[in-house]
Amino acid sequence: MKSVSLQHFNLTPGKGSNGISTGKSPLVMIISFSMALSFISVKTLHAQVPLGLPELKESKENPSTPGKIELGKMLFFDKRLSTDNTISCASCHDPAKGYSNGEQFATGVDNQKGGRNSPTVINSAFHNFQFWDGRAATLEEQALGPIQNPIEMNMKMDLALERINGIPEYRKRFEEEFGEPASDETLAKALAAFERTLLSGDAPYDRFEAGDKTALSEAAQRGKDLFFGKANCSACHSGGNFTDNSFHNIGIGMDQEKPDEGRFAISKLGGDTGAFKTPTLREIARTAPYMHDGSLKTLKEVVEHYNKGGIANEYLDEEIFEMNLTEQEMNDLVTFLKEGLSSESYPLVEAPELPE
Amino acid sequence: MTELKTITLAAAALFGLTLLMPSQSVEAADAKEKSMKSRVVADQLDNPSGVAVRPKTGHVFFASRDGVHRLVPGKTGKVYPEITSYPTDVYGKGPKYNIGPLGVGFLGNDHLVVGDGSRPDGEELVRVYKISADPATQPVGEDSAEFTLGPIEQGEDSAKGEGNFYGVAVNKAGIFITANGDDTKGWILKAEVKNGKPQELKAAIATKVATGVDAPVAITNGENGEIVVGQMGEMNVPGDSLLTVYNAKSGELLSSYETGLSDIAGLAFSPKTGKLYAADFSWAKPEDGGLFELITDGKEVTVKKVMSLDKPTALAFDKRGRLYITVFGSAEEGSEENAGQLLIVPAGL
Ligand code: HEC
Ligand code: HEC
Repeated sequence: MKSVSLQHFNLTPGKGSNGISTGKSPLVMIISFSMALSFISVKTLHAQVPLGLPELKESKENPSTPGKIELGKMLFFDKRLSTDNTISCASCHDPAKGYSNGEQFATGVDNQKGGRNSPTVINSAFHNFQFWDGRAATLEEQALGPIQNPIEMNMKMDLALERINGIPEYRKRFEEEFGEPASDETLAKALAAFERTLLSGDAPYDRFEAGDKTALSEAAQRGKDLFFGKANCSACHSGGNFTDNSFHNIGIGMDQEKPDEGRFAISKLGGDTGAFKTPTLREIARTAPYMHDGSLKTLKEVVEHYNKGGIANEYLDEEIFEMNLTEQEMNDLVTFLKEGLSSESYPLVEAPELPE
Repeated sequence: MTELKTITLAAAALFGLTLLMPSQSVEAADAKEKSMKSRVVADQLDNPSGVAVRPKTGHVFFASRDGVHRLVPGKTGKVYPEITSYPTDVYGKGPKYNIGPLGVGFLGNDHLVVGDGSRPDGEELVRVYKISADPATQPVGEDSAEFTLGPIEQGEDSAKGEGNFYGVAVNKAGIFITANGDDTKGWILKAEVKNGKPQELKAAIATKVATGVDAPVAITNGENGEIVVGQMGEMNVPGDSLLTVYNAKSGELLSSYETGLSDIAGLAFSPKTGKLYAADFSWAKPEDGGLFELITDGKEVTVKKVMSLDKPTALAFDKRGRLYITVFGSAEEGSEENAGQLLIVPAGL
């Protein structure tokens, strides 16, 4: 799929103007030509995205700077953003656990549990929607949610800001980066800028696709062919980040008495009932348990779920059907997920020293 | 292109655009375009989804859930059922729509190619009918085609079998059909034509592999033999529809534009001005649907709204530059009547 993104964002000047000819004047062609060139030269100044990931479009409202990223990193690990100083973002999005946290349901302050599993924040820079039900569009919009959520960090926003601005180094850094003390907006921007650096690509799968035929074991290669073929996974887990950025009902939780209605709560489209965002599968070996309700413990269980055609319900996506994969095929799929999508350059960020 | 526009585009390129939501990228209809009006030429249609104009006579053929119909344009504008008795399939996940034959296009002047969506995936067919000069007194059955192409069964090319054959474009390289059943590949199908005889229907262009977005639906011929395609993407996600251009012979992707539209279902070039128009069905937010002009320039596309429409599905110009549009429309609550319409926009686009 890597070739996908490269093609899509091809910057070869010839390509763009090659497309639809509606009798444009040569002048227009020259202008678009030079535009394409300036685009290229600027792009090379930007951080390189790991092999196999789509081009990262920088947020216009929140352009990244090294200082902002560093500040966001501190905040991400800072437990003082929770009422009782016990929980930071990293408590639920732990770098050592694939930026998820190994629990079925996230545990917030006072040991309270929510109803959903902590998703990884890796590659969330590419999402068009944040959260399992996509209720936030950007990382900036998302970031303030957990701080104020009563069962996550349970902080009043003004209290959080008072704490942050009461720490001289934070205050200084905010003023340097944003020209003002911490506010809802600048706090969110700093966190988002840091999260945008948490990228995983250049995995054995990407190297294999780029031509290194030794990058995947034979079992993983068979699994890859199944993933993009007979097992139908790429109908939804597609593109460089292995997600179509859409919502599907694959049956998870639909056998519960009161199933989580998922995306329907936001879109009010009947077809979105029990539908959740297709998650990335990069670094999937690190983020068990799986699914929005953390109900599947291993990747083998996940593959078995798909193989039996999910859990039947009125809204089941039509791309989910019984597949009759053999035991060997299921194992090969799991091997592909584990081996193929785990990167050597996994962004294992260590907790920085926090200002006193 | 004015200098101002160059600067804005260059600036946008410099800062790197965040994903544009439709409201940001789509310019509102300007004063002149607001005066552009459509007129209903046929109504009470059952989910009409394809329209084509017969090259020599200007007769208008359109497909709806219950079959293919012919409109003989003129003051009285009468509609005749032409081909009937297709089965019925269901499309979408809620809202759901009943569908039959989906797309139509002419192979020469005398053969109508029908992309059919009335069967399950893996069994779907492309039918090619010989069309008489005048409307038949009795419609013919769907199985009376002179040529039947497909199906694309479950196998190497498609894990579950291809289906929902939709848009039709015919050019020197052959017959092209967009298909919507297999979401892993997003196939455009192709049948070469030798001595007027369509050959085997094959999976030809994997649009999802090329662009990461699936559901090719709209398809039309570009000026230089390329095919111009509208890919709907996910129907429950607004703003993700692509305009793509492929080399008809090799299938190579030439360009891909993020339009900010939601579900491009119809595309057509005006024969008078060369301008490209798109119909956006806008599945998740029907109130945003309508007719749009797409202006491509290098890597960029500008989208201008021409008029709002209620779930438009297909576009076709006649030689005089009049535009025919099919729309699903919305039935009033509790009404048994079909809400679909065939519209015409006078020459001028
Ligand atoms: C108590 C555990 C917990 C804490 C603390 C927490 N999160 Fe989360 N996070 C979650 C859960 C659970 C979800 C999914 C919720 C949902 O979808 O409804 C989530 C979702 C997200 C997402 C969306 C990812 C995606 O793929 O949609 C991002 C980004 C995120 N959190 C960042 C943060 C940041 C930044 C902080 C600190 C300010 C934070 N989280 C604190 C548990 C937590
Ligand atoms: C119809 C679309 C669709 C198809 C096909 C599909 N998935 Fe998924 N996948 C999803 C969605 C949506 C979720 C989240 C569902 C939920 O939590 O309720 C998901 C979740 C997962 C997860 C858990 C991720 C996590 O972070 O918890 C894994 C692993 C996974 N899929 C692997 C696969 C494999 C392997 C295949 C092929 C056998 C496949 N998927 C086919 C849509 C799909």
